[in-house]
Amino acid sequence: MKLEGFPQTVSLRDGTPVTVRPLAAADAKALLEFYRSLPEEDRLYLKDDVTDAGWLHRFVALVGSGEVVSLIAERGDKVVAEATLYRALRGWSTHVGEIRVSVAPALRRDGLGTSLAGELVKVATRIGVEKMVIEVVENQVGARKMFRKLGFRQEAVLHGHVKDINGTKRNLILASSDVSHVWDAMEALVADFSPSAE
Amino acid sequence: MHKTEIRVGGLGGQGVILCGIIIGKAASIFDGKHATLIQAFGPEARGSACSAQVTVADEAIGYPYVKNPDILIVMSPDAYTQFAPQLAPGGMLLYENELIKVDGTLPKGVRAFGVPATRFAEELGRRLVLNIVMTGFFAGVTGLLSYESVEQAVKTSVPKGTEDLNLRAFRKGYEYGREQSAGKS
Ligand SMILES: CC(C)(COP(=O)(O)OP(=O)(O)OC[C@H]1O[C@@H](n2cnc3c(N)ncnc32)[C@H](O)[C@@H]1OP(=O)(O)O)[C@@H](O)C(=O)NCCC(=O)NCCS
Repeated sequence: MKLEGFPQTVSLRDGTPVTVRPLAAADAKALLEFYRSLPEEDRLYLKDDVTDAGWLHRFVALVGSGEVVSLIAERGDKVVAEATLYRALRGWSTHVGEIRVSVAPALRRDGLGTSLAGELVKVATRIGVEKMVIEVVENQVGARKMFRKLGFRQEAVLHGHVKDINGTKRNLILASSDVSHVWDAMEALVADFSPSAE
Repeated sequence: MHKTEIRVGGLGGQGVILCGIIIGKAASIFDGKHATLIQAFGPEARGSACSAQVTVADEAIGYPYVKNPDILIVMSPDAYTQFAPQLAPGGMLLYENELIKVDGTLPKGVRAFGVPATRFAEELGRRLVLNIVMTGFFAGVTGLLSYESVEQAVKTSVPKGTEDLNLRAFRKGYEYGREQSAGKS
């Protein structure tokens, strides 16, 4: 799927420009370097082992198939953040999209996570997603707060669902945001219904 | 006075009326012209057909009904069968070309332009924006109204949050319309 409207330049709070654009196959190495540079405590709570070359290979293939939309933020030739939208292409939840975001520690609290997640919500509604979900471990406080500000609300807690790399069990929180009303309004508008019509 | 009569026809749920509203709004609010709009549902046509009549002119319009449109925009086979014979000679037919097959019975001198609007809308992510693709196609082929004014009319007529996809749909239809009209002139 070709995404229009990119690359974009996002200014961080201190004015530093970063470029946001969809991931291309050629970015694989830079993405792996970005994930490998994340502190271990962050990686502890990521769903996949993003430092594994095998994972990266599968990920890039999913981007190619359209099942995954990945946006990267670059400063110079370095990837400094990545955001992913997963969307099942078959089955009973093709209207649901899952978002994940990671930002380099040095650039956090500068709005980058919010702007990447916000872009993905836009992309998602554009391609027909009606419900957005995130899965966060209970102690990912920053992520929970950021998504709350973006309109996500807690929907379920799966107790002891996650085992981090130390073997400690943690609760997984599922939060969601219903974006279907956006298109309900459009559907009503094109219904061409008139009360006076028979 | 220069006056252009337009009819938009299709099925309920295809956004026919919205297409008419946008054209009228683009002309009257953003392009400084005069426009009238008449909507017709069900009874006038068979089944769930519906249509809009839009008149665009340089001066105030006395008679808003469209009998023999200069431009006909159709999105369903029924609307085509019903309205195509009424086209003014030398008029213009804009049709969804994967839903409608155009036969040879058009009034004299009518130029026909087809667009796979449903497919474009689906490729963009929502079949729902088919009418906006048609609106863009209308703007691109006819050049009757400026690109900016129709774009503004789309933007201000669709629900909040859907502007982005609707504007893409508009541009897609517009560009395709430009190509088609360039190819035929
Ligand atoms: C969560 C994460 C993506 C946030 O990225 P970011 O660029 O720092 O986020 P933003 O700057 O847009 O923050 C937006 C708001 O979220 C809240 N927030 C973000 N991080 C926070 C933290 N560590 N503590 C408290 N609040 C936090 C704040 O309210 C912030 O607004 P403010 O800075 O104006 O107060 C980033 O911290 C990260 O990569 N964490 C590790 C991976 C992760 O947890 N990913 C989430 C999986 S879905």
